[in-house]
Amino acid sequence: MPTPRAQSRVVDLDRVRAHTLSNGMRLRILADAAAPTVSYYTFFQVGSRNERLGATGISHLFEHMMFNGAARYGPKEFDRVLESRGGHSNAYTSNDVTAYYEDFAADALETVVDLESDRMRSLRLTAEALEQEREVVKEERRLRTENSIFGLMEEQLEALVFLAHPYRWPVIGWMEDIERISREDCEAFFRTYYAPNNAAIYAVGDLDPDRTLALVERYYGDVPPGPRPAPVPLGEPPQRGERRASVRYPAHAPALLAGWRGPAARSPDSAALDVLQVCLAVGESSRLRRRLVQEDELAVSVSISWGWRIDPGVFLAFAELAPGVPVARAEATLWEEIDRIATRGPTAAEVRRAQALLRSSVLHELATHHGIAHALGQAEALLGDWREAGRALEHYAAVGAKDVRRVAAEYLDPSRRCVVVLEPEVRR
Amino acid sequence: VSAGDRIALPPIRRERLPNGLEVVVAERAGVPLAAVRLVLRGGASLDPPGRSGLAHLVALVARRGTRRRTGPEIDLAIESLGAELGAGVDEDATYFGLSAPVEVLPRCLDVLADVATAPTFPAAEVQRLRRREIAALAHDLDEPAVVADRALLQAAYGDHPYGHPPEGRVRELSATRRSDVAAFHARRYAPDGALLVVVGSVDASEVLALVRRRFGGWRAGGAAAAPPAPPAPPPRAVVVVDKPDVTQVQVRIASAGFARRSPDYFPGLVASALLGGGFTSRLMEAIRVNRGLSYGVRSRFLASGSGGLFLVSTFTKVETTAEIVDVALEETARFCDEGPRDEELERTRSYLCGLYPLSLETHDQLAEKLADLALFGLPDEEVSAFRERVRAVGADAAREVARRYFPLGDRVVVAVGPAKAIARSLERFGPVRVVPARKLA
Repeated sequence: MPTPRAQSRVVDLDRVRAHTLSNGMRLRILADAAAPTVSYYTFFQVGSRNERLGATGISHLFEHMMFNGAARYGPKEFDRVLESRGGHSNAYTSNDVTAYYEDFAADALETVVDLESDRMRSLRLTAEALEQEREVVKEERRLRTENSIFGLMEEQLEALVFLAHPYRWPVIGWMEDIERISREDCEAFFRTYYAPNNAAIYAVGDLDPDRTLALVERYYGDVPPGPRPAPVPLGEPPQRGERRASVRYPAHAPALLAGWRGPAARSPDSAALDVLQVCLAVGESSRLRRRLVQEDELAVSVSISWGWRIDPGVFLAFAELAPGVPVARAEATLWEEIDRIATRGPTAAEVRRAQALLRSSVLHELATHHGIAHALGQAEALLGDWREAGRALEHYAAVGAKDVRRVAAEYLDPSRRCVVVLEPEVRR
Repeated sequence: VSAGDRIALPPIRRERLPNGLEVVVAERAGVPLAAVRLVLRGGASLDPPGRSGLAHLVALVARRGTRRRTGPEIDLAIESLGAELGAGVDEDATYFGLSAPVEVLPRCLDVLADVATAPTFPAAEVQRLRRREIAALAHDLDEPAVVADRALLQAAYGDHPYGHPPEGRVRELSATRRSDVAAFHARRYAPDGALLVVVGSVDASEVLALVRRRFGGWRAGGAAAAPPAPPAPPPRAVVVVDKPDVTQVQVRIASAGFARRSPDYFPGLVASALLGGGFTSRLMEAIRVNRGLSYGVRSRFLASGSGGLFLVSTFTKVETTAEIVDVALEETARFCDEGPRDEELERTRSYLCGLYPLSLETHDQLAEKLADLALFGLPDEEVSAFRERVRAVGADAAREVARRYFPLGDRVVVAVGPAKAIARSLERFGPVRVVPARKLA
């Protein structure tokens, strides 16, 4: 197996300072003065997988509530204070985690530690703020799901792939649940999932590690730990045949979305599935782009997304089809290509191409303070160890053509696929 | 202003090749990647009448075959090295972007030179990409935000060369022939006045030598095109793009802006951030925080070579369409009347200054910035003295630029949504024209 020419370790993670506070909060610090900025990420180990039916979307709605004031910094102050110090903040919620970040000029570090610890210690959950954020989140759902072709289809697909696991429902939640979530739900959620023992901080940039550690100790040290979160139900019955759904919508062109349940992120197969993803659909010379877009002209675009998740996630293929193309024909071609790679595997040259592209993509990710902080947090949340952020290239380099063939055959079996078809509806 | 306030640029080498190509190389530590941008003056505004989308199509087809390589060979050559090659246009220029591991930069530059200077435009590839672009426009029609942006250009600029979408229109793309593509390339792709920017952990002397070898022999007789005349200000008008089934309306409000080289650039940057920049801007507070009308709203100046727009973008549920336009216009008028508060101005300037280094952090970002400066003939000082220039914008200057450009008088309002439900309520903002969504293709 040839290894990439350049060094595989791109960021010197031996320099990461790791520490756990007595209340259980984890802290990882990396000094890097390449730019006069710091990125400060807070990962809470909670996402839609920790929710229950009737309160789906609470992780995401709660993410919005975190910007509405705490004891020291009241309503509207979080962003005002941060922006006045040359910083910017945002957050996202996924199936597995809720992550907050601040990117800022290096001299604002103490302000950021103060702001973040304030809301972890003493968030204020008012009825007014909840009602206003509820409306904002409903608009977000209309934007990303109800009026988005991909959003509509993806929601259907996840509900096909998962019968029992909480990955079944969308991260943003069902509209009726967004309407129903109460302030009491939010308070209980905060006590459990936003306690320091369920959180980790990643500070990367132009900073002094000793001083940063002392600051974090000082500001967060007295935040009490919370109860242990309830375990997530993992039972998912085996799939014994294709599952299908169709979405009828007045669209101008058809589309096709397929998904298969893959392994958990921690599985050694995850890296091989990344290589498979690149062989199939990253770049103009990938198999599906060549076949579906260039040669047969069935699709305008085709993409694969293999999303690493804590529990087994989805390997997803999406194709925007040319108007008038019969979906069945595009489907048959897609299955044919998947069968071909699952039977014969990729060539050695295809694997090398995929490894080269993955190496560049890791380099791009680690090119900024923000990217490094996020990669550390993501690795620890999904894989249990931030050091994994620096090992991705080793894992990719160890993947061979046989591994790619094996994971394609194992996970992309026709009897395990789920298919959502967008049927354009003609309006009169 | 302290010395530490200057934004430090890496060492930059410049050279003008005998054929007129301007080369800019920035040597910089960091990840072992290089970012390259080749910029040709003239973009979608050079599309001939009846041939919208031509400049865009030429940029796409250029990589589908040269005298030395077929399209698939180009794809494979680039991607096997772990690199990416992209092409596109905006209203003022054509761009080829390359991102590559530094150790393979020479081979990638060879491909880039081949693609830009010696494309053969194989007939089958021209036809195929034309069909794909037409099919892609059908998918665009299903994205309300894209439809709104297309409709806005047309409504704001009308028949001006900036008024058509760079991706073109179906009817005109359908009429485009290979001969149009070849003629556009022969006429517009010329080294004289073009720019090549390289940023990364490279050796500048080596890169310059390489560029001389690969691009020094580029000869083309294309004449530099005169930039388009300044556009007329947008009329007072409302365009409703009818999409009967959406549950959320995309809204755009636009008024006349300024060209990229205008002295109003920095005051405009500060004023637009105050009105609709970050999470604490006036529009964000009025629309999202206080009323829960939308998930997002922002305002900015779109500054092109010959002119520009001031643009407010947002979206809301169907029932509150007129309300969100009302609130946006009221907040704008209030800002123009009162100007910024001291605390607000100070916060916004700090926000812009603090975040600026983040916009130059990656090689690709810096390459894009250097190309932008060179394209519009702006000095590097715009970057290095960014913070001084922002801090120099006082309350009066911010208010003055707002009064001159923000939508107080004539402005277009574009709304993409169910016409039956919203058109009448928008009549108070100007004469309403309803357009079926398919007309935007």
